Amino acid sequence: MPRRDQWWVVLPVLFGVFFLLPLIGLGWFAITDGDVASELGSSTTWDALRLSVLTATLTLVLAIVLGTPLAYLLASSEAGWARLTATLLDLPLVLPPVVSGIALLTVFGRRGYLGDPLSEAGITLSFTTAAVVLAQLFVAAPYYVRAAYAGFTAMDPRFEGVAYTLGLSRWRTFRSVTLPLVWPALAGGAVLCWARALGELGATLLFAGSLPGRTQTMPLAILSAFESSAGLAGAVSIAVILVAFALLLLVLLHRLSTPSGAYR
Amino acid sequence: MTLRAAFQGRAGDFAYDIELEASEELLVLYGHSGAGKTITLRSIAGLARPEAGQIEIGGRTVFDSSSGVDEPPQRRRAGYVVQDVALFPHLNVERNVLIGIEESGDARARWSQLRDALHLDGLDGRRPHELSGGQQQRVALARALVRPTEVLLLDEPFSALDDALRADLRAELTRLQRDFGVPIVFVTHDLREAHLLADSVAVIDGGRILQLAPRDEVFRRPGTRRVAELTGVRNLFAATASGDRVEVDGLELRLPANGARGVIDLGIRSERCILRRFDPDEPPPENCFVGQLVEELAFGNTHTLRFEPDGVGPRIEVEVAARPYEVLGVAERDRWVIELPPEDLLVMPRK
Repeated sequence: MPRRDQWWVVLPVLFGVFFLLPLIGLGWFAITDGDVASELGSSTTWDALRLSVLTATLTLVLAIVLGTPLAYLLASSEAGWARLTATLLDLPLVLPPVVSGIALLTVFGRRGYLGDPLSEAGITLSFTTAAVVLAQLFVAAPYYVRAAYAGFTAMDPRFEGVAYTLGLSRWRTFRSVTLPLVWPALAGGAVLCWARALGELGATLLFAGSLPGRTQTMPLAILSAFESSAGLAGAVSIAVILVAFALLLLVLLHRLSTPSGAYR
Repeated sequence: MTLRAAFQGRAGDFAYDIELEASEELLVLYGHSGAGKTITLRSIAGLARPEAGQIEIGGRTVFDSSSGVDEPPQRRRAGYVVQDVALFPHLNVERNVLIGIEESGDARARWSQLRDALHLDGLDGRRPHELSGGQQQRVALARALVRPTEVLLLDEPFSALDDALRADLRAELTRLQRDFGVPIVFVTHDLREAHLLADSVAVIDGGRILQLAPRDEVFRRPGTRRVAELTGVRNLFAATASGDRVEVDGLELRLPANGARGVIDLGIRSERCILRRFDPDEPPPENCFVGQLVEELAFGNTHTLRFEPDGVGPRIEVEVAARPYEVLGVAERDRWVIELPPEDLLVMPRK
């Protein structure tokens, strides 16, 4: 019997139901009205899935390579510009993705400020796979950089100081001391970044369009199915594939980011 | 091997101007928190950069603002144990100690040396969180000594330990000092610890070294009123001196031969004052005055007594050990004669 003073447990249970019900609804709708089998056999769906995984992973790699040094720099500086930049990093998180897409178009679009110089150099960005990655990077990388920044800021700087007095170079200190200590923060940020990139829709639609095989990622494929004759049933069928796949990868990533031997 | 340092700088709003020297001895850097102790160690280790000055470790100049020398911490040969030791939590004991020399060939030999010197047997594979406070301290000491070290900097290394462990580690430190023959700069805000460990004491306050001298000199002849205050002198008075006489609140006292003249600061440690029974028929002898006991604090092994003067003389605090307290029968009487022996009076010039 639950004790009298544990009535509050009702609240988290309610909240859990709120999240579970739509997912169950999605699955049930797919079984009764959808045609998951035929979507699984469709090359458009597979192309979209492949493109989604490819672009989200590329985005994550870029976010890590470019974002880790940025987060470290911001965390180790006490200057005003560093704090300002750290605040600005949050901006893409609060912008509606559509606005991010428009912002990208104004600079990198064919008629954007960098459009002419870029096309003279033979580079067209908008409506290419590269544009998908740029859109995702703009929207999703801040999740990683923020988490990394928080991790570096929370670390006791004396660990690095001690390492220097022990003769470790800055690079070795970063590798053998700093990185292992902030690893949980970085891994958490990476998962968020990758997940956000996988779900990216608004910015991609505006900046990269929805060309099957080139820029049509899973969310765009779902949207396009929804708007086609297939309607809701078609959209739901692709959606469950995405949900199942995302779930699988999240579980896998979670395992990877907290290996059993990791420092706790 | 010696350490010589004279440097100035600021950290935020805090300005410091430090002058230190230590040979193969244990120098205690003693002061309250916020006095500038940690920034001093960080500057010597190369983790903080003073604006000007020179630092010399083992005869090598590692910092000299006038010639632009500024060796990085990696090359200063300063072993540094920070407060709360900061062992790397993700590495086991052996890797914590050896991380700086892992790539050199003699890491194994060095490990077995240090393991014996600091009694770390059986701890090799443990993680820092699996160690006791005393073990963590010893691992941190081993880590600081693993490379050729010409000065050992210890920032309140025993502050988190209980008294029994502190005593053990102190003995160990004295032994290490002998074996490794390096200057040790030991930071503490604990007066008893300072007294117990120090060969020399540097009293630091407000970012400046007020006095640096052999331990007994600092405790017996504080250079200024502030040093006396910081080293636990509870009785401090403004006084007027002329030759071997000095006047405090109407009371005339004899001083040991001393050239002091005019307004000075006069002090006496509370444990150096002597209590005598009061006899109304006998005038108080030299360097004595009559006091009324107004407050009493019992600490078990000692009693702290506060007196108001009965007539001439200053207010004074007297510390009496438990046995004389009982033998004299302090508890039964209020009025006492207090003697301030000339050889225990501290004379400090006034700035």
